[in-house]
Amino acid sequence: MERPGRKKKPAPLRKARTFYLFVAPWIIGFIALTVFPLGYAFWLSLTDSDGLSPKTHFVGFDNYLEIFRDPLTMSSLAKTGVFALVTVPLSILAGLLLAVMVNQRIRARGLFRALIYLPAVVPPVGAALTFRLIFDRDAGAANGVLSGLGADPITWLVDPNVRYVLYALVLWGCGGSMIISLAGLQDIPRELLEAAQVDGASYWQSFTRITIPLLSPVILFQVITGVIGSLQSFAPLLLSSGSLSGAGTVPQGNYMYMIHVFAQYFSASRFGYASAMLWLLFAVILLVTLVIIKVSAKTVFYTVEPEGTR
Amino acid sequence: MTTTNAGFSRRRFLALGGVAAGGALAMGCSPASSTKAPAAGGGTGSAAKGTVTVMSQAGEFGPKEAKAASQALGVTVKTVEYDLTKLTAMLASGNPPDVVRGMGATETPYLVARQVAENLDPYFANSTLIKADDIDPVNDVWRYDGEKQGSGPRYGFAKDYSQDCTIWYNGGLYDAAKVTRPSATTPLLLDDLLEEGKRLTKRQGAKVSVYGLNPNGLGLFTQLNWLTDLAGGKLTSDDLASVDFSSPEAQRALSWYLDYAKAGIGPTVLNPDPNGWDGPTFQAGRMATTLSGYWLGGLFAGDAKAAKVAGFAPAPQFDSGRRVSPCFGATGLWIPKASKNKEAAWSVMEWFLAGDPAKARAAGGWGIPPLKSLQKLMPQKLPYQKQAFDVQMAEQEHFSVTSFTPYVRQDAINAVITRELPKAIKGTTSAGQFADALNSQINAQLADGKKRLR
Repeated sequence: MERPGRKKKPAPLRKARTFYLFVAPWIIGFIALTVFPLGYAFWLSLTDSDGLSPKTHFVGFDNYLEIFRDPLTMSSLAKTGVFALVTVPLSILAGLLLAVMVNQRIRARGLFRALIYLPAVVPPVGAALTFRLIFDRDAGAANGVLSGLGADPITWLVDPNVRYVLYALVLWGCGGSMIISLAGLQDIPRELLEAAQVDGASYWQSFTRITIPLLSPVILFQVITGVIGSLQSFAPLLLSSGSLSGAGTVPQGNYMYMIHVFAQYFSASRFGYASAMLWLLFAVILLVTLVIIKVSAKTVFYTVEPEGTR
Repeated sequence: MTTTNAGFSRRRFLALGGVAAGGALAMGCSPASSTKAPAAGGGTGSAAKGTVTVMSQAGEFGPKEAKAASQALGVTVKTVEYDLTKLTAMLASGNPPDVVRGMGATETPYLVARQVAENLDPYFANSTLIKADDIDPVNDVWRYDGEKQGSGPRYGFAKDYSQDCTIWYNGGLYDAAKVTRPSATTPLLLDDLLEEGKRLTKRQGAKVSVYGLNPNGLGLFTQLNWLTDLAGGKLTSDDLASVDFSSPEAQRALSWYLDYAKAGIGPTVLNPDPNGWDGPTFQAGRMATTLSGYWLGGLFAGDAKAAKVAGFAPAPQFDSGRRVSPCFGATGLWIPKASKNKEAAWSVMEWFLAGDPAKARAAGGWGIPPLKSLQKLMPQKLPYQKQAFDVQMAEQEHFSVTSFTPYVRQDAINAVITRELPKAIKGTTSAGQFADALNSQINAQLADGKKRLR
């Protein structure tokens, strides 16, 4: 027979309470800084709000329909897609090649790794502004080199040359990709490569049939994060070729989706429409990520099966 | 034996979390969260006190001015660097600064139509520093009656102004190129200005070492508006809800500008000035002529080399004989309706625009004072300052207010022009097609803006 009165709390309950206490700050932050803004943006997307006037009208899904009818929005989305298709593979490839190089037993290997990685830790705003100076038509180092070689200076920061400045800016930061690939390379058992060598495999055969498959989960990670990052690209586009005075100064070659969102918010004051554009981008990113994961099922090889799949 | 868990279970925690999230979403759906609540300002006649936040540029109203204002007025003055994105966000959240920098000429209708700016007529009526008969007519750009700019209540006041199509020229470059310097009394004809610009331009290979002319002013739309007016037409309709770039007068304006752009004699969207504005380029002796307004002269006072060669001339005109010399800035201050301390905000505004800081600004030569009584303080010590003063005083006769639309920001209109202009400059589209593209896109923007204000 149990005695009535105060019971000592069982250990599992205490553990649960401690758990929720520790995760509560994150949950509070998640609700305040993610769920609330998402909800507010979704509500805005159903209105014609300009952010200033008290005259706001509910318009339902008109903003979403207008996105598909607006040629400028569609072209900015297409340009963003092309940007992702070009820069993500190039970044991953450059990072992988650099990782293979700095994974060799060479003198001062640590120094090379540090120097190549250094651009990745430079703040993106600083990098974009520096590139703007480097590619300045009259005083930039790029045209200084061209002048030294006897060539005419190029107006880099306008169409059609500005996209190459952007690609250079993106590739300049491939040190981050290098570090991730390097970590993956160092996880590949040397015995496999040695065994392949003993069996007479060439370096290229070892690389393509052992290294790349074993590195595929790392490459998948870089593809997903790279695609998400490139679809959301904004600060480098605005600062390297436009100005903070307005997105209207960004050349058309760099006028990507997030620049258009910024312009709709703060130049056109179309808060509702811009919010709808952001929700559409969210849906596109989700869809693209799901497609990549689906495709990767046949192309990515895991050395250990994920839990629950056996 | 099972133990019933009467404490804080995972299910209950998740349920509470869901309620909190739903509450957050519901708050987002609440109309109150999307509109600014009118501020309960201080009552008329109450002493100004408390804290005033001023959003301006550090070079105009920075920490130094804030400290001086605090000492002079007995209020705590804080400053925030002006940024349109930040201002829009602050206004949207219902927590704006108390005093905000603005360009009266192009922003007043936009702000008033959205009921964002406070009507300052009651404050002006009680002002001891600003008298009605002392107000320069340029301040009419800060007036809007809901249909026409230039009449109705005042919503702001200029700190100083320029007539932005007047000319600064480098006399040394003119002499070197054997081009007659612009007259101080007779306006240049625009076609002559273009031809002279070509003669004044110097190149080193593909690079332009000296720009012959920069007529871009404060923005392409305002300049095209002015050029159309000079040609005898109107770019914007009377109801400010549409534009027409296809009229003969607008086509004349467009053609003149395209001729300038194709000649490669000055900055354009295809060939921007790396300096970003004309001041450094002019001081470096790399710009012969700029339509920049009186204010640019403030730059030369401390630069003996530039002061020696700088000259000021009236705004040019087409050969129609029509002279228009507008102001597209009238940069000044306004008070948001949602300001929480309007009385103190007005005291700061009045002090800055008409008190000691205004006198110091007038003497600095960075713009024409907004009060007629202060205009005698404009600098005339150096020869170029005396010459500019005389030209400017005569130019005032040709000032008139140009109405700008309340439906769309100037930024958005300029973005359309910037986007379509490269094709027209390269010749991919004709001037007519360029005009059609501008009409189509800008009128769509205006219609959308008007619909949102219904």
